[in-house]
Amino acid sequence: MRLTPHQICRSRLAGIAFLLPGILLSHGVAQAQAVPLAERLQLCAGCHNPDGNSIILENPKLSGLDAGYIVRQLRDFKSGIRKSPVMSTIIPMVDEKEFPALAEFFSKQQRKPGVAVDAKRAAQGKEIYDEGIDSSAVPACSGCHNDDGSGTDKYPRIGGQNSAYVIQQLMNFKSGERANDVKAVMRAVAKRMNEKDIRAVAEYMVTLKGEPE
Amino acid sequence: MKKVAAIFVTLLLSLLLSWQAAWADAADAAKSPRFGSKDYIWGEMLPEQAEVMKLTGDPQRGKEAFRGCRGCHKADAAGKTDGTYPRLTGQHASVIIKQVTEVRAGVRINPKMDPFSSDHAVSPQEIADIAVFLAAAETTRESGKGEGDFVARGQELYEQGKCVKCHGANGEGNAVKVYPAIAAQHYGYLKREMDYIQRGVRGNSHPDMVNAIEYFTQRDIEAVADYLSRLPDHRQSLAERKGK
Repeated sequence: MRLTPHQICRSRLAGIAFLLPGILLSHGVAQAQAVPLAERLQLCAGCHNPDGNSIILENPKLSGLDAGYIVRQLRDFKSGIRKSPVMSTIIPMVDEKEFPALAEFFSKQQRKPGVAVDAKRAAQGKEIYDEGIDSSAVPACSGCHNDDGSGTDKYPRIGGQNSAYVIQQLMNFKSGERANDVKAVMRAVAKRMNEKDIRAVAEYMVTLKGEPE
Repeated sequence: MKKVAAIFVTLLLSLLLSWQAAWADAADAAKSPRFGSKDYIWGEMLPEQAEVMKLTGDPQRGKEAFRGCRGCHKADAAGKTDGTYPRLTGQHASVIIKQVTEVRAGVRINPKMDPFSSDHAVSPQEIADIAVFLAAAETTRESGKGEGDFVARGQELYEQGKCVKCHGANGEGNAVKVYPAIAAQHYGYLKREMDYIQRGVRGNSHPDMVNAIEYFTQRDIEAVADYLSRLPDHRQSLAERKGK
């Protein structure tokens, strides 16, 4: 099952979606105007928490992500290459000049791991994460993203990432709806996975520390 | 008169057929401009291969750049024992450079590896770095082997046949001529690639290689693969020879 924007809004995001008009009004609609970092962070914190460890499972944790990766994503939201029901509404308000400071801030926050709900599924996910799936030529996630999910400057930190967000992104890569991965590497991997694989790997990923030793 | 008509019809038909065949070839080429290039000439370097060959690789940097390859070839670069992914430890740097640049140019048909050999995953400098890293890489893992029933037959085919001429008595290949080292490679991988080469679907085979195994039966392929998978790493053979 792929979550439609509609379903997302109806789920845990409903509260934020409800607040959105208020946020939009207080920040001026679609008028990108650079504001001081501290002020801008209040906008981000609404969905991603002040330290970037979003407690809403549909939203990504930004903590500890590579700053370059964050800037690329923000630019892609701005240009519309990457779409998101929420970010596509928020991003017109943010001036591109603010991106580096925002990225810098979140990249320096400590990633906090989550807890697996389904231990059996997480175990299946660990097998895929560490070994890949030979029959469908899925490489082990650990190859690029590291055993602990800490990632590199080329491949983002995925350890401890919220499961519902990971599932949605992998499904979007699979369908091609998200297509801002450089050279289609992630699309190539996700296309080789089925939804069961994706859910298993997301369940395991949430337990990974994410912070390098 | 009937005879003349028949000859005429035959001529017309054959003309039509040959024209159609030529057209089909052109259509195929247009459909897949990247894969399985028919005008592939072994030994004629792609521009990128030539570029990478001129770069100086650094094994330390190569170890870091190899990260993107580990998902399949594993952290020790020994691949998977069942042969799903080949062992890369001790492979000649020139061979790695040739294969990676040809996979990403679509000359060697390898859709599994295609996105991971792209220039985002590895830059030309990183290919050079990875190549020297792998050439010196060591593993403690044993190669995957066959059933062991036809090893002697495999050795006979290898040594009496044409294999030994290019790949050497110890399966060491030739770094200068860009012939791969094949000793201690996984059985499953050797078997699969020989099958691909025989069926003409690898894309970048040496004509001599195609010729050498053209008349191999399935059992011949298995026997040679099993023999090679049991040979020691070619660097070990070289060290022993020097020690004597």
